[in-house]
Order: sequence, then structure tokens, then C-alpha cells
Amino acid sequence: MANVLRRLRDDGPGGIAHAMTAGAVALGVDGLAVSLLMEDSGIELVACSDESAQTFEDLQFTLGEGPGPDTVRAGIMVWVPDLAGVRPDRWPALAMESAGLAVRAVFCFPIGLGAIRVGVLTAVRRTPGPLSSGQADDALVLARALTARCLGGGEPRRQDPDDRVSRDSAHELQQAVVHQATGMISVQLSLSLPQALLRLRGHAYGSGRTITDISREIVARRLRLDPNTDGTEPAVADKD
Amino acid sequence: MPREQQLSQVFVEIADSLIDDFDVIDFLQQLSVRCMELLDVAAVGILLADEHGILRVLAASDERTRLLEFFATQHDQGPCVECFQSGQPRTNIDLTASRITDDWPQFATQAQDIGFVATNALPLRLRGRIIGALSLFQTDPAPLSYQDVSLAQAMADIATIAILQQRTLAQSETERGQLQYALTSRIVLEQVKGILAERWQLSVDDAFAAFRRYARNHNLKLAALARDITDGTFDTDAIPHGVAGTAM
Repeated sequence: MANVLRRLRDDGPGGIAHAMTAGAVALGVDGLAVSLLMEDSGIELVACSDESAQTFEDLQFTLGEGPGPDTVRAGIMVWVPDLAGVRPDRWPALAMESAGLAVRAVFCFPIGLGAIRVGVLTAVRRTPGPLSSGQADDALVLARALTARCLGGGEPRRQDPDDRVSRDSAHELQQAVVHQATGMISVQLSLSLPQALLRLRGHAYGSGRTITDISREIVARRLRLDPNTDGTEPAVADKD
Repeated sequence: MPREQQLSQVFVEIADSLIDDFDVIDFLQQLSVRCMELLDVAAVGILLADEHGILRVLAASDERTRLLEFFATQHDQGPCVECFQSGQPRTNIDLTASRITDDWPQFATQAQDIGFVATNALPLRLRGRIIGALSLFQTDPAPLSYQDVSLAQAMADIATIAILQQRTLAQSETERGQLQYALTSRIVLEQVKGILAERWQLSVDDAFAAFRRYARNHNLKLAALARDITDGTFDTDAIPHGVAGTAM
């Protein structure tokens, strides 16, 4: 899994796609896909490891129902160890359409932070049955790394052989004061929560300070971000 | 009030909450307060491990940011980490002892700054797995008795049950989903504190106090109301937030 996470830090559009292929192998599932919520066009498939994952993602997001859309909407993981065993009234259109698909089990993990909903990581298998707890833990770690990648454009990249970097930045994103500052900035600058978090990170990056430090200043009202971009900020998250 | 009477009151209160549709963060916060009163300690926090095995604060007997941040320092040092890793309670730890201040300098210094002199950590147990810790702090060095520790463990077990019992929006089928949902709810609450503090030009602590008072008075769940606020589907002007009476 460490290898998969390292691929995620690769620059360029290939990073996430390679992580999906390697991630499917590491998790022991048949397919893995990432779909992200776009500001104006809804949920879009961004990367997938194979055709089975792609077909299933396309189907559920076209129909607007299924474990993936539920995961994005509620910010909670949704597991379907046997698609054939789902009550037909849960996702009626999907039940009609999915009969001919090779996919038999689907596991969806939210990508996001609190009320910030970024997208969903979906693992599919051709055989029914639950995920082991090790597989579930690995998938959660991958979803967390994807969250950091999607919300962390412009993060200083340090050379570190193990996973300290991703772990440190993931930890910083969990501080209460960072969430509080994100909420405050969203009101101050009339931004959505994800945009507010990107501004916060951009400012931290530009000023060479930690996001926690900057957040404390904002919550204490000693610092207010300029509504006009100060030029040091990275572009809004690359969606690949 | 004698402790037996106190205990039976708390028991009835807990049973009432758990059969109802309850808000897990609010429930755990009130459980922390009851635990603090029953054991006569100064502060109580409930921490849950995330998928990296890092302890996150879910609730505390006092929601003020300073105390929440102090509890959060226990993610990498202090008896809660040991308790979480070993699954064993760590009780009656003297925060002024040199071994403690040497091993956990940041934690011990901050604890002493607040006035804490002793601490205890009890595991949140789930069928042989440890999912978090109950953290107790004392300003009085008198050790907890064996009965006190048993009672604290019972409170920790109730916290675990509550986390697994919560009704989530999507009725997550898995225990892991329940744990993750509880952690997510906590983050949404912090984001809402920031939104309200800025809208109302209050401190985050005062904004949260007004928010929680409104939710309790109207029988609304904190997590659900917080999500409605972040989605923009709830008009926050409906919440009274004048400065008078916001002190907790």
C-alpha cells in the first residue's frame, strides 16, 4: 500500500490512474475507480483501473443512484457485498440495469473532510462477499490520501522515503482549528468549504507556515485572508 | 446526593437516550459530563481512533477549544496512546512525576498549565479490538478507587455502544462505517463553529454554545443541524445568538 500511496504523489494526470491499477492489486479487488464531484457538472469518473469499474461507475452516475451517489451525498461508506441481494426498491433503476454486469460486489468510500465532499473511491469485485478488515483499512487509507491530494494542491513536497509526508499533512487536515478556520474563511470570502480550505492551504504554502498556525491566527481574528488572490496561491485543485 | 442515587439517575438518562434517535456527539458530550460528576474528576474526553490508528477527540466534558485542543495533543503522546495500543487501562498517573514529564514533555506541560495533576485512560473495547479511549483528568491528586475505575470502564463501554448504535443518514451497515461517521460528524461540527462564529462575529466557543442550546431546545440533532447549515438549507438567523447568556 505504501507503494500505491507514493504513486499518488506523482505529478501529472497519470498519478491517480496508476494508483488505481496498483491499488486494485494491493487491495485484492477486481477494479478500483475514483469519481469526483465537480463544481458545476456533478460527479465525474476521474480514473479507474479497468473496464468493469468504469462500466459500473458510468452506470450508477448516469442513473444517479447506487452506492457511489449515496456515498457522495451522505459522506459515508456504503458496502454492497452482494448486488444480487439488494432490495430492488433501494436503487430500482440500477437493479434493472446491473443484472447483465460482471460486477457482483461494490464497496464505496467517501473522499472528503467533514462537510467537504470531494468524491468517492469505489472497489468492485466479480465475486460476492465482504471485504476483510485489512482490505477495508487499506481502502480507507487510500481514500484519505486521495482526500489530501484533491484538497492539497500546492503542498510543499519533501523528499522522504517513508510515508511521513502524506501522514503529516493528513494529520494537519484533521485539526479542529483548521476546520474552524475553513468555516470562517468560507463566510468571509463567500466561498464554498472546499474552496475556503484551498485558500487556507494556499496561504500557508505561500507564507511558508503550517496550515495549523495560519488557522489559529484566523480563528483568533489576527489574520484575514485577502479576498483578491495574492498570487502565491496554487490553482484550484487539479482534477486530472 | 448519594452515589447510588446519582448512578441510577444517570443509568435512566442513558437508557432513555439510547433507545431514542440520538445524536452521538451530543450524547458522548453529556456522558463525559456525567462521568466527570460521578467520578469527581475535573475533565473527561472521549477519543476515537481513525483509520491510521491516530486518536481523534469525539467529545469532551467541556467543549471550549482550549480543552479540546489539549485532548487532541494526546494523539501521539500520553497514557491514552498506551492504553489504545495495549488495550489495558492506565490509571492514577501522576502528571508531576519526572518519568511522565520526561516521557511526554508536551503533554505533561500542557496538562499542568491547565492545572491537571493526575490522569487516567480507559480503553473503548469492541469485541477484542480497541477503538479508542476514555480520558480522565484530575486537579486533585487523590487516586481513583477500584470501584471508580470499574465505573469509568463501564462508561467507556457505554460510549462504545453509543457510537455503534447511532443512526446514520445512510444506515451504514458496518461498524467501521459507524466509527467513520462519528469522526466525520465531529469535523462537520468544527466547520460549523467557524461558519457561525464569522456570521455572528462571536468566538467559536460562544457560537457553538448558542448553536447547541438552540439544537437542544428544539430537539434537533447537532450533526443533522450542522449538515443542514453547511448545505445552506437552514437559515442560521433563526438561532438566537445575542451575547447575553452565551457563557457556558
